Amino acid sequence: MKSLALTALAAGLIATGAAHADTYAIDPTHTFATFEIQHFGTSTNRGRFDKKEGTVQLDKAAKTGKVELTLETASINTGTEAFNKHLQSKDFFNVAEFPTAKFVGDKFTFNGDKVAEIGGTLTLLGKTNPVTLKALNFNCYQSPMLKREVCGGDFETTVTRSQYGMTWGLNYGFSDAVHVIIQVEAVKQ
Amino acid sequence: MSAPGRGWAPTSLAQVAWATVTAAQAEPQRYRLDPAHTFVHFEVMHFGTSTLRGRFGPLDGEVEIDPAEGRGQLSLVIPTGSLDTGLKALDQRLCARDLLACEAEPRAYFVAARFTFREGLLTEVRGEFTLRGIGQPLSLIARHFGCYRHPLLQREVCGGDFEAELKRSDFGASFGLPFVADRVRLKIQVEGIRQ
Repeated sequence: MKSLALTALAAGLIATGAAHADTYAIDPTHTFATFEIQHFGTSTNRGRFDKKEGTVQLDKAAKTGKVELTLETASINTGTEAFNKHLQSKDFFNVAEFPTAKFVGDKFTFNGDKVAEIGGTLTLLGKTNPVTLKALNFNCYQSPMLKREVCGGDFETTVTRSQYGMTWGLNYGFSDAVHVIIQVEAVKQ
Repeated sequence: MSAPGRGWAPTSLAQVAWATVTAAQAEPQRYRLDPAHTFVHFEVMHFGTSTLRGRFGPLDGEVEIDPAEGRGQLSLVIPTGSLDTGLKALDQRLCARDLLACEAEPRAYFVAARFTFREGLLTEVRGEFTLRGIGQPLSLIARHFGCYRHPLLQREVCGGDFEAELKRSDFGASFGLPFVADRVRLKIQVEGIRQ
């Protein structure tokens, strides 16, 4: 009985403690946005953005949150220098003029206690359009190394690149729809 | 060509020419891998939360395929030091002795001779994958496979996306278990230019 009471008290404290938004800092070692696009309808070209920063606010009790993630467009990395250069050029990301792309999400949908979807906007090439990230995994754990709570998951979305004026290659049959997969982990502050 | 219902017979010059082409196509075709479109990506679950990814490549090599005979031959060398996760410190950690052992075992290999075709298209490649000097059977399943005429090279290019799954502990790469999963998924992009 005593332990039950203590558990109830502890649960009460946790519930009270969780009734506000906690701030999490994006862990750059476990946060990457990777794009996938078909090459001549045959194989999948992949690339990712190596430099990024952001913060997440998450209120698990109120089931609300806000995420801001900024990607350095020049850090695009496909493993092939010539392809990187082409993607950095005016044909695609025009990194000289638009050095960052930014996702801001504030419409959190939960499935139980797990984030299921994040609606927001993606700003790319100076244009802002709505984007929804769908969670494939979501989980929080106590990191044994950091001794802090880490929350994160895998998200995916499809971006229509012509909405941002990125139209190179559409006339050769390269897809307008780009599949984006996002790994994210963020450390409680 | 031949009239319906008749057995095939080379009774005209056109048919002789066609027969010659067919005979030539029945021989194994050699494709040189295009390093710009040949990479091995891996995915592994981190603390049951998010998917850690990395990439090996660009890779080169040669593939021989013979769809008519349902045969093929592939020998792929994967320099373990070409690992790129997007983060130097993570690359170094994954290259350590208890994981990829990049220094002691600078090459991983995939050698395969069992090719499965369906309607002329490659669906599966079975062979042996060697990592950290340990060889294990591995099957690559084609998610897409196709050929196209490359507009710049003016040659046939064949390729696709393949997937495979392995347990890293089978190769002795056991650091971080079970927080970082044992099951590793490989996603392989490959394109080869006809020689």
